[in-house]
Amino acid sequence: MKFHKRITSTSDSIALKLAILAKEKENARRKLVVTAKQLAATAKEKESIRRKLVVTAQELKRLHGTLEKKVLQRTKDLEQIRSKNEAILTSIGDGLVVVDKEGKISYINKSFEEMLGWKTQEIVGKSMVEVVPREDLNGIGVSFKERILTQVLEGQKFVADLTNPFYYVRKDKSRFPASSIVAPVVLNKKIVGAVEVFRDITKEKEIDKAKTEFVSLASHQLRTPLSTVNWYSEMLLTGDVGEVTPEQKKYLEEIYSGNQRMVDLVNTLLDVSRIEMGTFMVEPKPTDIVKLARSVIDEQKLQIDEKKIKFSRSFEDSIPLMRADPKLLRMVIQNLLSNAIKYTPEGGKIGVSISLDNEKNVSLKMSDTGYGIPKNQQDKIFTKLFRADNVIGKDTEGTGLGLYIAKSIVEQAGGKLWFESVENSGTTFYATLPLGEIKKKRGIKAPS
Amino acid sequence: MVSKPKNNKTALVIEDERILVRVIETKLEKVGFDVVTARTVDQGLSYIEDVGGIDVIWLDHYLPGEKTGLDFVAKLKSPGSKWAKIPIFLVSNTASDSNVRSYLRLGVSKYCVKAEHRLEEIASDIKSFLDDPRK
Repeated sequence: MKFHKRITSTSDSIALKLAILAKEKENARRKLVVTAKQLAATAKEKESIRRKLVVTAQELKRLHGTLEKKVLQRTKDLEQIRSKNEAILTSIGDGLVVVDKEGKISYINKSFEEMLGWKTQEIVGKSMVEVVPREDLNGIGVSFKERILTQVLEGQKFVADLTNPFYYVRKDKSRFPASSIVAPVVLNKKIVGAVEVFRDITKEKEIDKAKTEFVSLASHQLRTPLSTVNWYSEMLLTGDVGEVTPEQKKYLEEIYSGNQRMVDLVNTLLDVSRIEMGTFMVEPKPTDIVKLARSVIDEQKLQIDEKKIKFSRSFEDSIPLMRADPKLLRMVIQNLLSNAIKYTPEGGKIGVSISLDNEKNVSLKMSDTGYGIPKNQQDKIFTKLFRADNVIGKDTEGTGLGLYIAKSIVEQAGGKLWFESVENSGTTFYATLPLGEIKKKRGIKAPS
Repeated sequence: MVSKPKNNKTALVIEDERILVRVIETKLEKVGFDVVTARTVDQGLSYIEDVGGIDVIWLDHYLPGEKTGLDFVAKLKSPGSKWAKIPIFLVSNTASDSNVRSYLRLGVSKYCVKAEHRLEEIASDIKSFLDDPRK
């Protein structure tokens, strides 16, 4: 029994174990089922993601294609605009050059190539001032420092036209007269370079020359009838052909002085045409500038007194003889003094002084308390035929040529002429003139 | 023919503007010259060569015909010329600066622009030059 019992209890425990095992197995199976289900779900998700990815990829591919097309189109458009701009620049009839801020050429157009004989590939990247020399009227090269381009790169716009002409030298060393406008290229408030447009002004110069020659010819021819009036009225006035009554004499004097004014005018025109044709006859000789100034003052004493002008003069004692053309120097002083008288109201002051600047220069100063030159017209005052607004109404006799002539003469002699002026308070003109080679003491009579 | 009292000097005026010639002639006579006139270079030269007795010459630059006052001076002042010593006054309104330089080089005594001088001045200039050529 015991044995049976024991067997029974053993088999019971086995059955129990089996039952446990079966349960575990069942558990494991269930877990596996769950896992399998989960796996199946993941696979499905994966598939769905895969599908989505395919769609996205397709979309991307499509978008990429469009984008590429768009970029291509844009590039093409930009290219077209660029070519068009370049075509415009290239085809501009005037020469065009763009330089960077170091003055190196970054672009030239076709007219530049044609006018100067250089090809783009030969000079791009090179210095404009070095490759294309600029000369003044006398064929003297304009230095780098004075080159407009150099100055423009420091910020200002420059115009050089017929009144300030220069020559450009071609690759083959020949040259042509040019006028140009140079302006800085400003980007984000910074100068990044400069652009210059220039033109060949050979034709304009020819026309200008023809005009000057015409003025010269006409003026010369006008002198003959003027001489006739001069000499005939002179003969009447001197009584060489019979007595005239005092009343008739007055009339004749008017004719004579009116004619004299015309002679002066014609002479002024001739001086201008001489300056412009470069045919001014300059005959430098030992000249006493103080003596010259004294004689000019004497000449205009009447006008000074008529306007009750307080006149002062101060001449340094030891001014040596200078080498100058006395006729021309006289014209300069005459012009400055007659202007001072003309443009100073009655009772005003005029002062003339001459001093020795240093070993090499004589200084002339002519100051007045006159109408002055309006600030906004001061830069034009030496321009031919220019007359300031504030005096046009006051004096109708001025031609606007005097200062132009005076400046030309002074500069031709290697000197400088400039002024300081305040409207309604007065003007001071300054001239410095080189003494030249002769330094003899004053008092020696200059040979006439 | 011009009558020539001994003490009067003779001036030859070569000028083509008749109206000016008239007044120049009158003035020069007033200051004591005998005056003969010519309109062209050739007339002037033949006067000197054929008639002679000229003490001073008043010369204009532009004259009718192909020759100008320069040709006249060149001929008169050429080496070996009998008349090289006759003083010449160039009185012209139209000579260019470079022509004036040539005249002075060729030996013209003085140059003046008609329009810029009184007749009186030129006439007495000529007179005093003849009295004292060093002036």
